[in-house]
Amino acid sequence: MHEVGVVQTASFDLGPLHIVFNPVTLIMTWIVIALILITFVWLSRKMRQVPGRRQAAVEMVMEMFDGLVKETIGKDSRRYLPLILTIFLFVLFSNWVGIVPFMQEPTKDLNTPLGLAVIVFFVTHFSGIKYNGLFRYIKSFFEPIPFLFPLNVVGEIGKFVSLFFRLFGNIFGGSVIIWVAYTMLMSSWWTSWILVVLGPFLAGFFGLFVGLIQAFVFMMLSMTYIAVAKNQ
Amino acid sequence: MNWTEIVTLLSAGIAMGLGAIGSGIGEGFAAGKAVEATSRQPGVSDKIMKTMLIGQAVAESTGIYSLVVALLLLFAAPKEAGIVKAMALLGAGFSMGLGAIGPGLGEGYAAGKGVEGIGRSPHEEGNIFRVMLIGQAVSESTGIYSLVVALLLIFVV
Repeated sequence: MHEVGVVQTASFDLGPLHIVFNPVTLIMTWIVIALILITFVWLSRKMRQVPGRRQAAVEMVMEMFDGLVKETIGKDSRRYLPLILTIFLFVLFSNWVGIVPFMQEPTKDLNTPLGLAVIVFFVTHFSGIKYNGLFRYIKSFFEPIPFLFPLNVVGEIGKFVSLFFRLFGNIFGGSVIIWVAYTMLMSSWWTSWILVVLGPFLAGFFGLFVGLIQAFVFMMLSMTYIAVAKNQ
Repeated sequence: MNWTEIVTLLSAGIAMGLGAIGSGIGEGFAAGKAVEATSRQPGVSDKIMKTMLIGQAVAESTGIYSLVVALLLLFAAPKEAGIVKAMALLGAGFSMGLGAIGPGLGEGYAAGKGVEGIGRSPHEEGNIFRVMLIGQAVSESTGIYSLVVALLLIFVV
């Protein structure tokens, strides 16, 4: 039983470059993007001034997120709303797609959360410089006393390391637990019926519930980090 | 049964055994605070229950990391290896087991205080809930570092 923790990779040579990629993750990421597109194109079809039931539901969710972003980020919140909402939807759909048999969560591969965290990292520091000026922003790392500069830098990096490892750890952990339960219970016919009860419960808890919580936490933390850098 | 296998079994026990301490106490604290809040404000027991359950689920995440490390040690770790690898596997168990105690306790404490706050001012449910969730996520960071080190010790060293 060695397949857990191993990511299927493919590689090819492009001139002097040796390019390694994970085909499963790539395909699943595109499936997730397609799902989001289809869902929201379908939801926004036939928009009218007086919304129908479907449109009203989506508008309610949008207004909730708009309020949330405005409350956290403050000034120019509309500029950040698309990014924050995209992060939430992408992580949510990525986490939820794993409950479909033979589908794998893109977030189970460390590279996906890492990529998202890198985006948030650059947006955070770019906003910090844009809204405070380069000098004032760099100066903030030397506060309250210049001696603390290395600690501030380590803390800044640690924020993003824990951001993407939190998502990865929860989704990967859930998939390991589900995988072990299935492998052990399917090994003999008289235990496999337990899966009828246990399977939906595990998928519901680790897929839907943990997936929703982690998507929300990832979004809220990204937003808070941006707000802290922007409004200091 | 060889050396590595013996150490792996011990390490899995350590990871889960120590890792269960923090989350257990933390979640119990949250439950106690929920009971207290309900006895003070029985009218909002559904809000209290919701916050308690979500807070506990987040406080349980380090316990789940411990379970994951224990399962990986049992099923995915190499069975034949030198003494260095065997000690790395033991270290993985200690890393996750001990590392899970603090965040479990801390997150449970945050969940308990969140529940208490909702019992005191139920109209501020949204704000309290959000602050609780972010605070828990940040206090989980050290547990995540433990998980990272444990995974590195199992798969990379």
